[in-house]
Amino acid sequence: MINHQTQLKLQAYLDGELPPGEARAIGELLACEAEAQPLLEELKATRALLVGNELELKLPETREFYWSKIQRQVEREEQREPAVDAPAPAPPWWIRFLAPAGALAVLAVLVLIALRSPERSQPLLASDDSHEIETPLEETSSFSFRSEAAAMTVVWVDSHRE
Amino acid sequence: MSRKLDYPSAEDEVLVRAAQKGDMRAFEELVARHRDKIYARAFSMMRNTEEAIDLSQEAWVKAWQRLNQFQGTASFVTWMTRIVINLCLDQLRKLKRLRAESIEQLDEDLGGVERQMPVVTPNPTERLERSELRLRIDKALGQLSYEHRTVLILHEFEDLEYKEIAKRMGCSIGTVMSRLFYARRKMAVLLAGLKRDGLR
Repeated sequence: MINHQTQLKLQAYLDGELPPGEARAIGELLACEAEAQPLLEELKATRALLVGNELELKLPETREFYWSKIQRQVEREEQREPAVDAPAPAPPWWIRFLAPAGALAVLAVLVLIALRSPERSQPLLASDDSHEIETPLEETSSFSFRSEAAAMTVVWVDSHRE
Repeated sequence: MSRKLDYPSAEDEVLVRAAQKGDMRAFEELVARHRDKIYARAFSMMRNTEEAIDLSQEAWVKAWQRLNQFQGTASFVTWMTRIVINLCLDQLRKLKRLRAESIEQLDEDLGGVERQMPVVTPNPTERLERSELRLRIDKALGQLSYEHRTVLILHEFEDLEYKEIAKRMGCSIGTVMSRLFYARRKMAVLLAGLKRDGLR
């Protein structure tokens, strides 16, 4: 009895799936192995019977009904993913013109201001312009009054300056 | 341009090009032309009318969304059939109707029934009307497991090579060969009118 691997090779031979060397070997086997030829004939006859004899079925729904369901589904899918493939709509021409023009105008104004008032273009933390706010705590005193009834606090600050 | 198109008489390629530009009417015509074939392929794999209708519809929706990917290297109906086959395979996997390869391998290790079956000769010249023969073939296909039927359909009806079937089914070429061998041998028995107890 031919083994399973040989049976499968016999089938592959029939289907034209064997490389030339193996196909030759199977050809020789068919000449000398008594079981091989009837099996090949059975496989061949079955294949011949099936090919071109598939049952032709009709869809059990009317054209309109079937299409309406497909159409609805297509519309639903397109609403769910509106801009997957579609590019974003282009802005109107006046926005496309005004956007760079506006940016250039702002830039020009900034440059003009910088050129006309050089002192303002100094760094904000330059040592010459720095100022400190001092709070002479020694010269101040404070009194605070809290009224629970009125729910308010009054703080009186006195700087002692004449 | 689409207004001048005579949809019922236009060729598929013309309708596809129009549909690619967004012409829904052209796409409707393609659906009307090929809906039976796409449904029939879904039914042959699922063996259930409702599932076949749903999956065939889903295939058409997917086709509309991916229409720009259709390059025309194969015919439109071939492209559509591939879409519905992939959807059916996904669904069969989801429903666990396609067994894992390890279980298939277990069958092989235990010794497949197909190896012991005597050789039979299905007789195509049985003086059957073609429609009757087709009914008998369909009935026999219905008696195969999902795995065996799927391999047979993809090979005999869709003319796919072992490698392509293995890729689509997510199994090895060896498993494809084994399943195809079993499926053919069982079909031979069923079509020869033999009833064998103990065969799956």
